Amino acid sequence: MNSLLNAPNKPPHEGVIDVSTFVSALQKILPVGAVILSKEGQRPFECDGLTVYQQLPLVTAMPETVDQVQAILRLSHLHGVPLVPRGAGTGLCAGAMPHAEGLLLVLTKLNQIVHVNHKTCTATVQPGVRNLALTEAVAPFGLYYAPDPSSQIACTIGGNVAENSGGVHCLKYGLTVNNLLQVTMVTIEGEIMTLGGAGLDEPGMDLLSLMVGSEGLLGVVVEAKVKLLPRAPRVQVLVAAYDTVTAAGDAVAALIGQGIIPAGLEMMDHLAISAAEDFVKVGYPTDAQALLICELDGTDAEVEEQLLLVCECFKQHGAHHIRIAKDAAEAAALWQGRKAAFPAVGRISPDYYCMDGTIPRSQVGYVLTRISELSQFYGLRVANVFHAGDGNLHPLILFDASIDGELEQAELLGGDILTLCVDVGGTITGEHGVGLEKMPQMPYQFGDAELAQFRRLKAAFDSEELLNPGKGIPTLKYCQEYRSLQHG
Amino acid sequence: MGDLTVQLEQQIQHAYATKTPLKIRGGNTKASLGRETSGEAMDMADHSGVISYSATELVVRARAGTKISLLNDLLAEQHQRLPFEPPSFAGEATIGGTVAANQTGASRPWFGGVKDSLLGLGLINGYGEVMQFGGQVMKNVAGFDVTRLQCGAMGSLGLITDVSIKVLPEFKAGHTLTFDMTIEAALEAMLKWANLSLPITGMSHFKGLLYVRLQGGAGGVASASTFLGGEKLASKAAEIFWQAIREGSFLQPRHDQTLWRWSGASDTLANTVPNTSLINWAGAERWVLTEALDTPLEGLVQYQGGDRLAEVYGAISAPQQALQQRIKHAFDPHGILNAGRLYAWM
Repeated sequence: MNSLLNAPNKPPHEGVIDVSTFVSALQKILPVGAVILSKEGQRPFECDGLTVYQQLPLVTAMPETVDQVQAILRLSHLHGVPLVPRGAGTGLCAGAMPHAEGLLLVLTKLNQIVHVNHKTCTATVQPGVRNLALTEAVAPFGLYYAPDPSSQIACTIGGNVAENSGGVHCLKYGLTVNNLLQVTMVTIEGEIMTLGGAGLDEPGMDLLSLMVGSEGLLGVVVEAKVKLLPRAPRVQVLVAAYDTVTAAGDAVAALIGQGIIPAGLEMMDHLAISAAEDFVKVGYPTDAQALLICELDGTDAEVEEQLLLVCECFKQHGAHHIRIAKDAAEAAALWQGRKAAFPAVGRISPDYYCMDGTIPRSQVGYVLTRISELSQFYGLRVANVFHAGDGNLHPLILFDASIDGELEQAELLGGDILTLCVDVGGTITGEHGVGLEKMPQMPYQFGDAELAQFRRLKAAFDSEELLNPGKGIPTLKYCQEYRSLQHG
Repeated sequence: MGDLTVQLEQQIQHAYATKTPLKIRGGNTKASLGRETSGEAMDMADHSGVISYSATELVVRARAGTKISLLNDLLAEQHQRLPFEPPSFAGEATIGGTVAANQTGASRPWFGGVKDSLLGLGLINGYGEVMQFGGQVMKNVAGFDVTRLQCGAMGSLGLITDVSIKVLPEFKAGHTLTFDMTIEAALEAMLKWANLSLPITGMSHFKGLLYVRLQGGAGGVASASTFLGGEKLASKAAEIFWQAIREGSFLQPRHDQTLWRWSGASDTLANTVPNTSLINWAGAERWVLTEALDTPLEGLVQYQGGDRLAEVYGAISAPQQALQQRIKHAFDPHGILNAGRLYAWM
């Protein structure tokens, strides 16, 4: 990977960590088996969903209580040991990759749904609760948890808070930040702090929102109170096929511009459609250059009203095939193709690299054309699957890591796509986070003053840079080296 | 009207060099909120104007001094609206002040607060550095969320120079139902109805009546209205009622009164917040008007009136106080920006 990223990120205590004292103190805090030291035992934790970045930690700890988490943070702080928090490890930016000289704090054992209040439509959960497990647990009350990232079967609420996860329904119902009322976090000093509250807007600066998406750099979330939504009485799914991605992009912009906000509005390009259809065989039109998947929800009356408008708008913009799901089974099948798009692409290529830029909707046609040109330039195929409604692209770069240099080419192509997103007024990451992966693009999106402000903010929480060091926010030195490389 | 960024930057740089406290002021409509402070006036009203507005992107970007009323008019031309329904305070409130003071209207539980619509902003910190955070796109997780951190910070972390906001289409139809109910019955009803997937955009209780606002498509509103029952309020009366809720005009404290705000879970029993005058946000926000000399009400914010040199937002835990002081220092090392407006110690 990038040579800058491989530089050892030494803790500020400059190698004075007394490993044996630290580990034996850790073993006194946790039960037998909750401290993992062996290479074999730690191997499953060496990476997150972005598997090209791997690193074994010094030690892995799996606490079961908040008290243990507090004690571990105090101990790390005392000994100056870097600490990387982690949930299920489904992230896609190497944000949870361990630190070679640090402790990996695995929070999956804190997996209790503490309380569900169906009257106020809220739930209090520990960070290791899986996203889908929460939705399943509240289903008997007719409720669900809105953010639904593709990894929802495995990913945890703690990880969702750290990355501000979205999903296919965040167009209408928002990201994690829009569905959170309160978090309890532990600071690097081991202090417990509650941010937000049971109400909707607490007085003072919005520290709760600051914690969301902070990628484990500011504190460790040990409890979250989330909003739940009532299930809509009716959900209607339809797909529309187009001859060009530009026409499909225009249809999306027109629909949103008309004031219709579907619950979900996704787009797939030809390569993604073919791969998905080959994999799950749900009857997608494989001759289409672009496919829109649209979900409407609400009362019967609301859905009927919207369905007419959506079909009319899609046709006006050149849809040559519209399929309206007749029942829940057909709706699920139409979604299945989209949800299986990543593994489907995995079947047609030895490896793929998923990008995550967001752009203004009006730029979709231009950006997809540019991506296609870049794809030809690098000689690597790109399949596009994305949250069209909010302009969040997920180009999947197909490559073969066993071919010398192809991974590097894929990374360069990915980097070009991200800077393209910034150039058209967008961002390098819509929902996956910066982690280790997108550090090179941070100085492209932000100037020195903003980056310095981020670092001062980080220092206000963690002056010794022990929490997830080397991720999220590049250091001044890193930026200087990056820029000299770009200009050299 | 225009771009005064350079002058504002220079004024803060000078204040930083001379350690001069600054008092930020837009339309001067929120002088009664927060703590009373002093400082050299930093006027934002002339730093105004819409920078860009794309109806199809659903994004408007405007300088901080731009009036809410102007934004409302501009959006209405394209049949769009600000999702968080902020007060315009006789047309003088500005978008910068609205973000800093976190001002949201009756639709808060359903369409979110300021932070839920805020996509990005320009900020000048206490060093006098001009910065941009967030952007104009719907999803953006690069870097810390300095944008939303400003909501409710009352200008204590930086001078907001411009904001980018997600807008939404106007509702196609809507009306308001009223129900003759005690506070207790209204709280029960609001809890029950908020649990259903209905096109509700406001539920408030005032003087023995529960007001339920339905907005959305004509069919959805009509079927919800039939389901809920109640009395249908004439449209003019409904408009006046929700305007009064938004502008806070039902409970303007006289000089010898204090207005207290309670925020909490919507299933909190009525007697937990005695002498409630008005309930908003389906029970999650409650207001109490008292005589000024009354002792502070536990768990309530001293919203307007009373001793404005007191800690009007109440106390927070020692570790969090220390953290907020460090955050303040990270943005404003000399403490020149709206010092003491949030807390005496900040």
